[in-house]
Amino acid sequence: MVKIAYFDADVVSPEEIFMAAGFTPFRLLGNPAIEHDKVNEHVPPTHCVWAKNILEQAIRGLNPEIKGVVTSHGCDCTNREFDIWVESVEIDFLFYLNVPLKRDKIALNFFLNDLKELVYQIEDRFKIKIQPEKIKEAIKLNNQIRKLLKEISEYRTKMILKGSEFHELVKLSQTNDKKKVLDILKKKLMELKNKTRFTEKKMKRILLTGSIIDDTEFLIFLEDKGFQVVADDLCIGSRYFWNTIEEDKDPIVAIAEYHLSKPLYSTKMPSYDRFEFLKFLAEKYEVDGIMNIAMKFCEPMLYDHPYMNKKFKELKIPYIFIEMSYNREQYKQLSTRFEAFAEMI
Amino acid sequence: MPEKKSKMLKATQGLKNAMGRHYLAIEQAYRDGKPTAWATSGCPVELLYAMDVQPMLPENSATISAAQKYSQKFIELAEEEGFSYDMCSYFKTNLGAVMEDVDVYKGGIRKPTFMLSSDVICDTHSHWFQVQAERFGGVPHYIIDVPHVVSNTSKRQLDYFKKYVQEQMWELLDFIETHTGNKIDMEKAREVAANSYELSEVWRDIYELRKNIPSPISTKDTFGGLFPLFTMPGLRSPINLYKRMYREAKTRVDAGQGALENEEFRLMFEGIPFWYQLKYFAMLERFNAIIVYEPYTFAFSKFFSNPFEEFSKERLLKDPIECMSALMLSFWYIFDLETRIKWFKETVKDWKIDGVILHNNVSCRPNTTTFYDLKRRLGEEADIPCLIIDSDQNDPRKFNEVQVTNQIESFIEILRKSKRG
Repeated sequence: MVKIAYFDADVVSPEEIFMAAGFTPFRLLGNPAIEHDKVNEHVPPTHCVWAKNILEQAIRGLNPEIKGVVTSHGCDCTNREFDIWVESVEIDFLFYLNVPLKRDKIALNFFLNDLKELVYQIEDRFKIKIQPEKIKEAIKLNNQIRKLLKEISEYRTKMILKGSEFHELVKLSQTNDKKKVLDILKKKLMELKNKTRFTEKKMKRILLTGSIIDDTEFLIFLEDKGFQVVADDLCIGSRYFWNTIEEDKDPIVAIAEYHLSKPLYSTKMPSYDRFEFLKFLAEKYEVDGIMNIAMKFCEPMLYDHPYMNKKFKELKIPYIFIEMSYNREQYKQLSTRFEAFAEMI
Repeated sequence: MPEKKSKMLKATQGLKNAMGRHYLAIEQAYRDGKPTAWATSGCPVELLYAMDVQPMLPENSATISAAQKYSQKFIELAEEEGFSYDMCSYFKTNLGAVMEDVDVYKGGIRKPTFMLSSDVICDTHSHWFQVQAERFGGVPHYIIDVPHVVSNTSKRQLDYFKKYVQEQMWELLDFIETHTGNKIDMEKAREVAANSYELSEVWRDIYELRKNIPSPISTKDTFGGLFPLFTMPGLRSPINLYKRMYREAKTRVDAGQGALENEEFRLMFEGIPFWYQLKYFAMLERFNAIIVYEPYTFAFSKFFSNPFEEFSKERLLKDPIECMSALMLSFWYIFDLETRIKWFKETVKDWKIDGVILHNNVSCRPNTTTFYDLKRRLGEEADIPCLIIDSDQNDPRKFNEVQVTNQIESFIEILRKSKRG
């Protein structure tokens, strides 16, 4: 299986283009268990710990099945680190996708140009032709996956599927062959329809938001503390499947429109608009509280936090904000804060 | 070791008056009910002047807070509001200054008619203005989204990047008209653009004089001297100031005089200085070392610091909007790594620089992300000694004077040995 990986601080990578080119899209995930030996020679210590973790893995050497990496416009750290990828990572194809900061018509036209450039560069580098029909097929397949994930996600709220198990499913969807993913998700849905609640004890219903959270162990940790994540607006979560791509129009246009109309992330502007989607989720899923988790040095999240804090206070929804390093020792160190939050709600 | 003092140009003393006029113009605008705007660095401030909008630059105000020793207090106020210790200290200084409603001499700044930001330097700028626009109760805010030029961006990409910025520039003009009633007057735009070009040109000429050994000017003239380029591009008055600076520096060159009596080491300083401790740079003079080039202060001379295109006055006057758009795509301060390495190597050669100090400014991640690779490549490819010092532009809590001094002393020793061969 040949793959194109994406390094994405958001969830704006056009997987369908990679699929149409014959590659399996593969989201690069962090590994909190590794040391940052190599990357510390390239990036100062006061930069995003998650982004450094991914770069560490890339410098050490990515899986040989990965033939290229596409980085999407994220935050100041991830954007500027692209040059270090070019400098230090042994890979044949590296593309920086300038996903616009804004979402108007001018931005859409620009994004179309950049997506077309990506198509051109993949074709040129791999000596292939990406057919629009193939992109349309990929869109249909991914839309099925998105719809299934959305349906499965509802079982979190019914306490039939653990938040951590769902998180694993989304990760699996972002890192495996999509036909295989489709089969797995179909089976999972069937299985869930016949399952009963996994717990009778009262677990706190949580809406999880924040930086990239790719370590499922964190959700397991939360479950141990008595929290069930019933909803989220994460990149490895709802923002991956909340909307679908239109299937009956020019596929590149449809992809561009999809990415500029999905629930907004803090890396895009105006990032305060994120609050509306969070409010919608909080009310729809009747959550007991909201957790906003920022990775250390994750500036977009740090900017939005006081506003979110204020707005959720107005709604009288309990809210906790945590800045966290990318290592599992941190979870234990933060136990008391989570326990206090559990008591509060 | 005896303290040494480099000589500041007499003309630079006029800077205070020039900036004073800028702040008076702001006050006058409020008295007259004229529209005002906040703008971030990297934005086309010229367009504001061309549309009769009085610009205010919160970054400039933040440096005043730092120089007057208020920044820490304002930063801590912002932190009490929930903004993290790790965030941009300019932003936090500005937030605290507005919360305290202090006057301009402490870095205060009024509520504007609208705000103009861009992500050309950092996404932080747009977040910062979003925070303040909301806290003021809803100030209109226009963001110019500038695509990131990276090490492998192609010429073809640059063309549609430029088109994207240009389309936004036209939209910005409509935005300004909507919120102020002022229309763009292309004749005035050309006049403002021509002034901006001339200001850049004289600044470039001043920098050219710094190639001389000994250098006629030091950072005492340039760190503060850059502010007119930043706040008043398009006005006549700073041009006259810069011309006086140039003439005086040229007289020194002709007389073989340097700003420093016994110039021994010529340095380059990359990054924003620590504004709360500018005197610290004089410490270098004890070692007969002088900074002769700062990419940061030269970056604002934008017509002459673009790696992709030539910007002639004729081109600018023909289509100021096209030119301003193209100029936004790059900025010496945040060049992609490959361009940066090339420009550093050329600058070191042309300005006969012995060593480079890179300020790992924790408030400015876009500027510092590639420092380690920059340092390594300069060492490997051009045998240029580099020193990285860790500190912050506006937050004195992040400046460890003893540590930085030790590092600089060791660095000077390295340069000394290197010079001896």
